[in-house]
Amino acid sequence: MKKKSIRKKKGIDWMSIIPPWILLAIIFAVWEIAAKTTGISEYILPPMSKIIHGVITKFPGELLPHFLLTVRVIVLGFIFATILGISLAAIFSQFNIITKAVTPVIIWLVITPMITLIPLMTLWLGYDPVLRTYVVILQATPIIALNTLNGFVNVDNDKVELAKSVGCTRMQRFTKIVFMNAMPQVFTGIKLGSIFSTIAALSADIVSGNAGLGFKISQFTKYNNVYMSYGTIFLVGLIGLTLYKIIERIERRVVLWKN
Amino acid sequence: MEELVQKEVQTIPKIVFENINKVFHTRKQTIVAVKDYDMQVDQGDFVSIIGPSGCGKSTLIRMLNGIIQPTSGRMLLDGIPLDTSKPYSQETLRKMGFIFQQPNMLPWYTIRQNITLPLKIFGLDTPEYQEYADELISVTGLQKFADSYPIEASGGALQRAGVVRAMVHKPEILLMDEPFGALDEMLREQLNMELLSIWKRLNITIIFITHNVEEAVLLSNSIYVMATEPGRLVEKVDIDLPRPRSLEMITQPRFVSYTQRLVDLIGSVELRQIK
Repeated sequence: MKKKSIRKKKGIDWMSIIPPWILLAIIFAVWEIAAKTTGISEYILPPMSKIIHGVITKFPGELLPHFLLTVRVIVLGFIFATILGISLAAIFSQFNIITKAVTPVIIWLVITPMITLIPLMTLWLGYDPVLRTYVVILQATPIIALNTLNGFVNVDNDKVELAKSVGCTRMQRFTKIVFMNAMPQVFTGIKLGSIFSTIAALSADIVSGNAGLGFKISQFTKYNNVYMSYGTIFLVGLIGLTLYKIIERIERRVVLWKN
Repeated sequence: MEELVQKEVQTIPKIVFENINKVFHTRKQTIVAVKDYDMQVDQGDFVSIIGPSGCGKSTLIRMLNGIIQPTSGRMLLDGIPLDTSKPYSQETLRKMGFIFQQPNMLPWYTIRQNITLPLKIFGLDTPEYQEYADELISVTGLQKFADSYPIEASGGALQRAGVVRAMVHKPEILLMDEPFGALDEMLREQLNMELLSIWKRLNITIIFITHNVEEAVLLSNSIYVMATEPGRLVEKVDIDLPRPRSLEMITQPRFVSYTQRLVDLIGSVELRQIK
């Protein structure tokens, strides 16, 4: 047996796991040393050990409810945005003229920071923190739709010819060729969508106040609890990174032909 | 009387091109890809179309397969004109199998899934056809690749898979667009011989596009020589060499005289264009 099927070629890829951890350790070490030796005020640069210790001790009691709220908003919004973004792109891509018409609008929506709409949305939707999910959906859907649409409309001519030569129906062409062909772009869209979702949820927390990790960050900063502020920011980064990595794993299982 | 009818049925050509034209319009210019092309291919015939790149030879078989539409003219399949104004019916498409210049495998399917794709589209996904697919896979030595993905297989294996995919629904006609052009000489010769044995066994009709003169002479009953600008038929050359053919024939005087004649024809066509 020369080689096993790509599906079975699993195992832990240490080369992609160890280097990031080493880099992280270096950053933390440099931070810690800089904070302790340069004499910079703790309000500006608290030591890393204090930041980590603070987050760990305050997580179960003070941070957990806010953490759960923000994670819920991110995940719910992201899932809806993914479904919505892909479905819209699928519909738009069926008509050349619609694709041309909507593309600039989608780009415009991608660029618009939805944070600017939050005060208005609060007026329309009220104060329930879960309604922040809408902000996430609004922010993440366009970037997912844009990438997916790109994938759906740019199909290799060879594959289009193959579909024609065997007489694929429109539906067969979409499910068996166009959709699968677009998978790499779809996943790029979804990964960007996960980043946009995290940013949007945090922005919504900060602007709306009263709950969520974003709210906690602004509150910690306001009360000069700088190390906790940093700590919560790292926590948010961790959420985004985890989501991104989960999607990446799924992508590797689906888009077998690109690895 | 019955005999007469029988005879008439037999003489209906499998494929007819009548005065076929194809014009492409780009923003800057109009390109006449094919001009006034006529051709008749009988059932069980092996015909090659040869000519320099850009002479419209690939366009011809793409029109026959419904991939692109002719600008004017008529094509007949079994004596029945093809309606090119709309996509062909599955019944018509099932009569043909198209083999592309590149393997054109879908990378998200295994080789077997790629090969059996036409069965799914044509609604022929029955045990009988699956068995036939398995048989073709084993005849072409693709068993060990069948459950691999295209990126795991060699170029030769993929090109074979492309041929098998075009044959899996038991078409009556194979349209081959320079199918082995990207492969090395040895592999190409080997696949050409395999193709001849398949053609003989299945009694199918083949239109083979190539720019390799030797390949065309070795395989075909007749060769249509085309020229560019506009893409048109220059001459039809019948190859009267005995069958079965083998690679040893390439050095025989009659074979050489055919290749020489074709090379001269294509050369003079190109020379005329330079003038």
